[in-house]
Amino acid sequence: MLDWLKNINKEYPEFWKTYVSKFDKKSTRFVVLSTETSGLNPNKDVILSIGSFAVTNDSIAIGDSFEAVLLQYKFFHDNGLSNEFLVESKMKKLGESDAIKSFIEFIGNSILVGHHIDFDVEMINAALERLDCGRLKNEALDVDVMHRKLNDINDKQFSLDELCTAYNIPKSDRNSSAEDAYKTALLFLKLKSRLGIK
Amino acid sequence: MNTIAEHIADFLKEYPPFNHLTFEELSEIAISIRVVNLEKHKILFQINDLLHDSFYVVASGVINLSVIADAEETLLNKCNEGDIFGLRPFFAKNNYMMTAKAREESIVYAIPIATFRPFVANNSEVLNFLLESFAVNTRNPKDKENLIGKLISDNVFYSDQQSEMQYFQSLSYNTSPLKTTVTAIAKDVAQLMTESLKNNIVVCDNNIPLGIITDTDMRSKIATGRYPVTVSVDKIMSSPVITVVENVSLAEAQLLMLKHNVTHLCVTQDGTDKSDVKGIISEHDLIVAQANNPGVLIKEIKRCQSPKELKQIRERLTDLIQTSISKNIPLSHIFNIASEINLAIIKRSVELSILDLGSPPARFAWLSIGSQGRKEQLLLTDQDSILIFEDVAAEKYREVKDYFLRLGKRTTATLEKIGYELCPNGHMGSNMLWCKSLTDWTKQYDSWMNTPGENSNDLSSIFFDYEITFGEQKIEDAIGNVVFKNAKNNTLFFDFLGNDALRKNSPLTFFKNFIVEEEGPNKDKFDIKTRALMPLIDGSRLFILNFDIRGINNTFQRFKQLAITDPKHAEIYLNCGEAFLILSKFRTLEGLKNDNSGQFINLNELSKIDREKLKNALAPMRELEELIKSKFQLTQFS
Repeated sequence: MLDWLKNINKEYPEFWKTYVSKFDKKSTRFVVLSTETSGLNPNKDVILSIGSFAVTNDSIAIGDSFEAVLLQYKFFHDNGLSNEFLVESKMKKLGESDAIKSFIEFIGNSILVGHHIDFDVEMINAALERLDCGRLKNEALDVDVMHRKLNDINDKQFSLDELCTAYNIPKSDRNSSAEDAYKTALLFLKLKSRLGIK
Repeated sequence: MNTIAEHIADFLKEYPPFNHLTFEELSEIAISIRVVNLEKHKILFQINDLLHDSFYVVASGVINLSVIADAEETLLNKCNEGDIFGLRPFFAKNNYMMTAKAREESIVYAIPIATFRPFVANNSEVLNFLLESFAVNTRNPKDKENLIGKLISDNVFYSDQQSEMQYFQSLSYNTSPLKTTVTAIAKDVAQLMTESLKNNIVVCDNNIPLGIITDTDMRSKIATGRYPVTVSVDKIMSSPVITVVENVSLAEAQLLMLKHNVTHLCVTQDGTDKSDVKGIISEHDLIVAQANNPGVLIKEIKRCQSPKELKQIRERLTDLIQTSISKNIPLSHIFNIASEINLAIIKRSVELSILDLGSPPARFAWLSIGSQGRKEQLLLTDQDSILIFEDVAAEKYREVKDYFLRLGKRTTATLEKIGYELCPNGHMGSNMLWCKSLTDWTKQYDSWMNTPGENSNDLSSIFFDYEITFGEQKIEDAIGNVVFKNAKNNTLFFDFLGNDALRKNSPLTFFKNFIVEEEGPNKDKFDIKTRALMPLIDGSRLFILNFDIRGINNTFQRFKQLAITDPKHAEIYLNCGEAFLILSKFRTLEGLKNDNSGQFINLNELSKIDREKLKNALAPMRELEELIKSKFQLTQFS
């Protein structure tokens, strides 16, 4: 309840201050993101990988992207799991704090887009809290909500796969957060033009 | 490390020219790719658009490449998955020459030219493929099979109006040819030909052609000594003659000459060599006819030094229009040709003024408005134009405006000499009011559009049909931006325009008779301009502004585009478009007949069938009116 009082005199890390200062201006850049997590509980589970692409001018900029695998040593150690599959992947590997830090730098003041984005935002917020930072300030759009709004459906949620089928987006057998982010980005482009969002 | 870039590289390496590159190179390219989603019917680029900084690869879906002539789309090519298109920026600096439109929802990869160029330079196979793709002309779909790989042409020189015109263009030829009989002596005939400066003579029997003697025959049969000069002509004539019917077209005459390897064709009454001789077509006549085609006219215009020369060309255009109409060439086609020529004439007039006055002190744009702005000027109607010059420092303003006023006056005077009457309402670049700086024009449009009705005396809807004739394209674009920005959700403005469009008097009485002028010099004539054409023109403009469609100024094409943009009412739009063409034709014929603007139709001179046709063409107007009423819920001004 009085959380904000506790934070009032708190000294934030430098990268967070830079991030906050970016919100003086409104952004026209969208960042589509998808995270892979160890579970569904923001308080206990952690992010294992992040994939995201920027969407500007109605197109996905392949180069303007962020992908990382998070080496969650502590989490795996505490839970007695093996993280070999993470270590073996070719992806860029970062510790959680470095990954979140670079990710925050990447998104800046962009509008976030994702599939059931609330959860991703919660997970990131939890990670940010561990870094003594505040919560994400970005606006966020959910492709599922956009789809339901477009079709006037209130009583049902759609999975990413269902949405991809509905909008004719080829499914790939490769599964990664980058792959999901890319599919979500295509979905977003299609929904965006249908809903007439500028 | 970018997973998706690698997926894209994986995709690309299947298709030429990317198969000549390594996976690493492709991954590098893929990093800079933009992925674009195109809705169905979305246009990626169109003819005359500025070149994009990238070319495209179809990732999924189908993209149609087409050229548009006379609001008719001609499909050049369909691009499927893996096809590349939009190569123009690699090789050329001028704008796109075709339209790329998604036939279904598609995803394309935009590959920046800057990224790709080094790979082209270092890899001759890639370069060759691109060059071939660019240069090959797949206009003929049958050729497609012969192509190696899949080449998408990007450099279409659409067989434009000029060559098509040849099929319609009629020839003027010598209708009183020299004639002689079979018994004549070669020497006398040669004498006759020399005296009358002709290179041919028809040998007739009772006006029925038996043969022809040309300079060639004289050379090859007499001068070689094979026959004496005293021989009778039947020994040296070429026989039989190649005969054609009257009204043969240029193209046909050319074909016949080539086919029979002759230099002259004989025109006879029924086209056989058993009927009366009507004339002789020589190669020279063909050359003359070709000189009367639109392309040549435009070239001549560019060389003209005086209003007088331009006037002569304008008169030739009138001939061209007249023959085109009588040959049933589609009117939309004629509109195009005529407007290009009109445009060239106005442009040259401005140039001539500049040559006289010295170069302008600031950049400017001379915009044609009204009918020429809509590219619908066939007859010599009055001239409407505005002049916009770029903003200059306050102390120089007076001087600059003074220059442009003089420029405007001179140009309009030139145009008047050519035959375009001055606008009775003074809507011309020579008018103080319509020769202003960009800022002033912006203010002008702002006030017109945001407070229509107030000071509306000087608001004429023709200001919303504009086409740049001379000067800076950027200035026209700036005005276009102002117009469309203001039009957005501007109920008041549409209300005003809508009412303006509906205010025109209806063409028919309750009993479906034409309403004719009751008094004045045009008593008992039908005012086709105000009562029939204007409502359609106004209606199409209203909708085009409302749907935010830019760059289409022609009423017929506007209707066509509206049918595409607003498919729910496509039928109404298409009917209106057709009606517009029919009505325009009536007006043009009337104008050509009387050498005026054709505004008033003398109904008594029309045949009963034509009257019915005219009446039917008025029908779609009602539907358009209803559509306007329901769409804009007109209230404020009614």
